[in-house]
Amino acid sequence: MKMNTIIFRTRLIRSMIKPLLLSACVVSLSACSSLGVEPWERDLLAKKEMALTSSPIDAALDDHIYFSKEASSGGKSFGGGGCGCN
Amino acid sequence: MLLDLFYLLTFLFRGTMQKKRAIKVSKQKDGFAISFYAMASACEVLIQTSDEQLAKQIGQCVSNEVWRIEDKYSRYDIQSTCSLINASNGQPVKIDEETYLLLNFAEQCYQLSDGLFDISSGVLRKLWTFDGENAECKDFPCQEEISEILNCVGWDKVIYDRYSVLLPKNMQLDFGGIGKEYAVDRSILLAKQFTDKPLLINLGGDLAVTGPRENNQAWQVAIEAPNSDKAGHTQDMIVAIKQGALATSGDTRRFLIKAGTRYGHILNAKSGWPIVNAPRSITAAAPQCIQAGILATLALLQGKNAEKFLIEQEITHWARR
Amino acid sequence: MTEITKQRNIKAALSIATTALLGTSVTTTTSVQAKEVDEWQFETAYLLYSEVDRVTAGEVIIAGTKTFENDEILNLKLTIDALTGASANGAVAQPKAQTFTRPSGNGQYITPAGDTPLDDTFKDTRLQLNGQWTQPLEDNITTSIGGHLSKEYDYLSLGINGNLAYDFNKKNSTISMGLSYFLDTFTPEGGIPKAFSSMLVGDSNSPEWNDEFAKTRVGDSENKSTTDILVGFTQVISRRMITAFNYSYSTVDGYLTDPFKVVSVLNSGGFAEDYIYENRPDSRVKQSTFMQAKYHFDESLLNIVADVSYRYMWDDWGINSHTIDSRFTIPVGQTSYFQPHIRYYQQSAADFFKPFVINNQSLGNFVSADYRIGEMTAITVGGKYGLLLNGRNELSFRLEYYHQMPTYAGFSLPAALDGLDIAPNVDAIIAQISYSF
Repeated sequence: MKMNTIIFRTRLIRSMIKPLLLSACVVSLSACSSLGVEPWERDLLAKKEMALTSSPIDAALDDHIYFSKEASSGGKSFGGGGCGCN
Repeated sequence: MLLDLFYLLTFLFRGTMQKKRAIKVSKQKDGFAISFYAMASACEVLIQTSDEQLAKQIGQCVSNEVWRIEDKYSRYDIQSTCSLINASNGQPVKIDEETYLLLNFAEQCYQLSDGLFDISSGVLRKLWTFDGENAECKDFPCQEEISEILNCVGWDKVIYDRYSVLLPKNMQLDFGGIGKEYAVDRSILLAKQFTDKPLLINLGGDLAVTGPRENNQAWQVAIEAPNSDKAGHTQDMIVAIKQGALATSGDTRRFLIKAGTRYGHILNAKSGWPIVNAPRSITAAAPQCIQAGILATLALLQGKNAEKFLIEQEITHWARR
Repeated sequence: MTEITKQRNIKAALSIATTALLGTSVTTTTSVQAKEVDEWQFETAYLLYSEVDRVTAGEVIIAGTKTFENDEILNLKLTIDALTGASANGAVAQPKAQTFTRPSGNGQYITPAGDTPLDDTFKDTRLQLNGQWTQPLEDNITTSIGGHLSKEYDYLSLGINGNLAYDFNKKNSTISMGLSYFLDTFTPEGGIPKAFSSMLVGDSNSPEWNDEFAKTRVGDSENKSTTDILVGFTQVISRRMITAFNYSYSTVDGYLTDPFKVVSVLNSGGFAEDYIYENRPDSRVKQSTFMQAKYHFDESLLNIVADVSYRYMWDDWGINSHTIDSRFTIPVGQTSYFQPHIRYYQQSAADFFKPFVINNQSLGNFVSADYRIGEMTAITVGGKYGLLLNGRNELSFRLEYYHQMPTYAGFSLPAALDGLDIAPNVDAIIAQISYSF
């Protein structure tokens, strides 16, 4: 029963521009291999507070709440199925 | 769990007990922990016994010995042997056997390290002020200043024998690099004379055990995690020790940064410059604490070859970059 | 730098020196036995989520992590949550009281005049198990695989995921790709309602009830499958800053309708004549781009670590959303921290979202009045306080306030709804205690 998918898909194609722009940013960023630090300069980066997800448990709990209460999920990690949250 | 008390004490002691010389005995699950403050560190003795009197006695004995060594070799204490030597202004100073043995040991280390480890290099510190984590050093000393002060550095200039030591004018001795580890080893010896019970002595991270715990169980100690590149992977590492000692040498909190390069606080006694590209800290294991301490320091003096040095020498170690 | 290669065995020479210093009695025992111990590291958390007059949920998580010799990591997690309270059923408020039938078909409930209809039959307990194994392959390549199982009274979810990461540029850059697949089975109480059929309202004790109710049902259970692809890139910018960029593509197929939700059918005056079960498409493609930066300030700014991220999501239902999330970790003393948190969320409505339908409107193929896919702005404000105990264990407390503001822009209200709050705000408190050891 997939009706109106054509309409949905055109909107999808138009919105592909955004990720393409983002990819361009990312590629040009990675081209700057002058960015970064030597192994012995990682003192601050090694701290727990500087980890990209410094509290995976908090993140999992929050993701569950927002997945149940909003229309978006994931982004940082898998959105996934997971539960029949109402 | 024995660890728990150590950390709790570190937290309690930090900054609050400046010069109080008291010991505190507290009951642990299967023994006692005696804690005190010495050599600018939180110190503790863990003893596996049900005899509280014994624990108190050992605690008293060990803390007294540590304070004795601190009073004798601390360069901050005007009345210490170290300060007397440093204030001698080129005149010979009488020394006892203990000081003679320590000077001999310092001599051995000087030879073994090809002059990089030198207890007369303390004066170099005047030129290098190492601050907190985020120090961006704007004024490095210039080469002239360094060359000038290097005139006052050099173990080979120190003349000593069994009864006296002659320190040239303007030179200073600093026992900081070996003092704490020596205190650990001396305390272990003393404690062993007193009792057979399993004991662990920990002076601010430099520690040794008299042997395994009851039933050949290991003592569990936590040290700062090694190599953590992966974000979020920074848990402390647990080391199980049954015999011997651990000493940590390093500069996580004290270093300089200039033009993006990190200079550790260990100074090369020959060039006068801080070591570059050394690991941030090294924990080495050896039969005695003073050995472990020297090995860790010698490794750091190797800079980027620190780990290679330790592997070649077959030393059990944990390095953190 | 002179290398100490002349002395081949410094260890031995040092032993001799030490003996001389400490006395010969020392060296008789001398070996050293010290080795690293692998221990489990545990994290536990207890969460309470409570909406004013609506749903209350409690959740408990116990997770354990163990690192093995070659840096392999095993992570196991157990989650238990329980839900009670009332949820909006999709119908719109009315100036008179309304009667609805419970999803199971057994019994009715009445919503007072002027109130948003809420169905309070939701009581559920859920158990979830997760396992994740991370395996370094080469020096710069890491893989990870994991499994997920979630079971509640009327819902079963099984999932697997895999991830491959490659570090380069002295581990300053990492590129990764992950795939996950979930298969969910839903067996709602009362069965699956027939789309657009009217909610049967009457006396559930009457003899004809069961037959009549069954006519509104088309089955007992339905499935849905979700496939996610996640591409990520992280880059260390400097000693103080790290950034991450993710792109994800997710496709869900199967039964995506909420069997418990209805849409009010109003007459031209705005009075409810009927309630029909909603219907959503049987597929949904979502994409999102995510970027995050973390910066460690220096002493002059209290060594604060700032964490700011932005996510933009868009899908083929016409929903797009912006999420800005920020946290600031402020060290307090040597062993504790305070972390204020602000999150701003904004979403647009699904194409087929309608807060209600007027009886002469053509419905189209899909319709839903579930405010969670309608236009809405939400703000979360809170803080977390953590302290390190015994040097290794951390205890933390988190308290947040979550405020949802649905906005039904573009829908003109018929007269009967005048003065009624048909898009009420939802307020919730989030409270959490965590302990890791």
